[in-house]
Amino acid sequence: MITVTKAPPYLTVQDVGRKYSRASGVPKGGAMDSFALGAANALVGNSGDAAGLEWALGGGSIRFDRDTAFAISGATVNATISGRDVAPCTTIYARAGDALSVETILNGRFLYLACSGGIEVPVLLRSRSTYLPGRFGGYGGKTLKTGDSIALGAEQGQRPTEGSHCAADLMPRYDGGIVHVTRGTHEDLFDETAWSTFTESVYRISTASDRTGYKLEGPPIRNAMGTLPSEAGCPGTIQVPADGLPIAVMADAPTIGGYAKIAVVSEADLPILAQRRPGDEVRFELVTIEQSQRMLKRRAADLHTIGQLATRTVRR
Amino acid sequence: MTSHQLRALPLGDTAITISFGGEKSPELLHRIQAIARSLSEKRITHVDDIVPAYLTLTVFYDALHASYQEMSAQLLDACESANQLQSTRTPSRKHVIPVRYDGIDLESIATATRLPADEVIARHIARTYTVDLLGFVPGFAYLSEIDAALQVPRRPQPRPRVAAGSVAIAGAQTAVYPLDTPGGWHIIGTTSMVMFDPGRDPPALLAPGDAVRFENVG
Repeated sequence: MITVTKAPPYLTVQDVGRKYSRASGVPKGGAMDSFALGAANALVGNSGDAAGLEWALGGGSIRFDRDTAFAISGATVNATISGRDVAPCTTIYARAGDALSVETILNGRFLYLACSGGIEVPVLLRSRSTYLPGRFGGYGGKTLKTGDSIALGAEQGQRPTEGSHCAADLMPRYDGGIVHVTRGTHEDLFDETAWSTFTESVYRISTASDRTGYKLEGPPIRNAMGTLPSEAGCPGTIQVPADGLPIAVMADAPTIGGYAKIAVVSEADLPILAQRRPGDEVRFELVTIEQSQRMLKRRAADLHTIGQLATRTVRR
Repeated sequence: MTSHQLRALPLGDTAITISFGGEKSPELLHRIQAIARSLSEKRITHVDDIVPAYLTLTVFYDALHASYQEMSAQLLDACESANQLQSTRTPSRKHVIPVRYDGIDLESIATATRLPADEVIARHIARTYTVDLLGFVPGFAYLSEIDAALQVPRRPQPRPRVAAGSVAIAGAQTAVYPLDTPGGWHIIGTTSMVMFDPGRDPPALLAPGDAVRFENVG
């Protein structure tokens, strides 16, 4: 069990999200930065589908009510465990009663906390992730508040080695602000000028950005489409409404939409976009679908490497 | 429809949109829905989700185990063979949704359409609707097409909260709000039918292509 002793403004249970129910209108949902959650899970010996906590918008603290390995990843924070500094992306053993405090989020947007055994909440539609707009999944479809307690699952597999650390070269390049994209399903509806505006401009994340989508501010992309007959989109789809200011739809976005889709963020780089805050800059770079799928495989291999690092036998 | 009109387009690195060309029409929509059902019955390996829409259907797949090239070739083949078979497909499911026509916008719709409220209700229950597609929020089914006399644009300002079970109309479509959500449609009634339950399989009561009638229960 873990208990929230001082809730941050936003704290939810998330995993890799939902498959198989998009035809019912259920968004993928899940962690905004699924790589950071995956890395934290790997560092505590969890499987890739384990649930963790997604933490944002400010500091707070939780108490571990049992001994557990834990790791934090994603946003850069200053955090302590019962007074000692907590290194990011590192396997740490907490004792029952230890308090994890996050003072402030210094950089990035979403912090992930994984504990060995994962967060144990009922599986709904094959996922433990919280879908706040529908008020289901996770902890009763809600954010966790001060005083809430939540169960941890039974530890599985090999015990992770204390102090295992995931090197920066195994993580996405969060600081660069370069986000790779492939051409969208409506690429033909944008002329050369529109494409050069999109790929050569710097866009800024608007304050109108949340788990549903990030509105981008910058040079408008010329278009004359208005709305099109609705069709499926996916997290990372960059759509262009009439005002020309692109919107990147994110984890909780509706499954269908009627705006022209100029591009789609490579799954491998979605964490980089997700971690950008309002005011932060991004630039989009086109890659082919083959390059994009290679990047995704590379990320999966990196997660596997992190898991092996954490659970290899310690040599003396 | 001839095969050369089918096109596969990547929707990012984990999905493929099959475009059928042509214009939005009930015939094309129903053909796409039938093909989507047939694809889903085939249980193609590494396919996670199939989402039919007006001019396209989109297939989500496991890109760690299937490349875009392999998957798009396989899907185009499957869509073409389904396209040939679909004329023999059985009709879709039928639903009757009980409604209390007590919605807060019933009077304003009566005024806007210059019809008595009773006539608005009569025209809403007179038709059998079909589910165009699901989206907006889980379980929200866009039903077409309502009586021309009832067609009113959506409200200029969406309400911050529309209660689950609200039966509403906007433009040529009608729908039931499955969850408490913001919403800009005109609410004409309420149903106790549970349109979406995440604990149910499938969670949404309605699926693309289903036939829906409303019944006045006072």
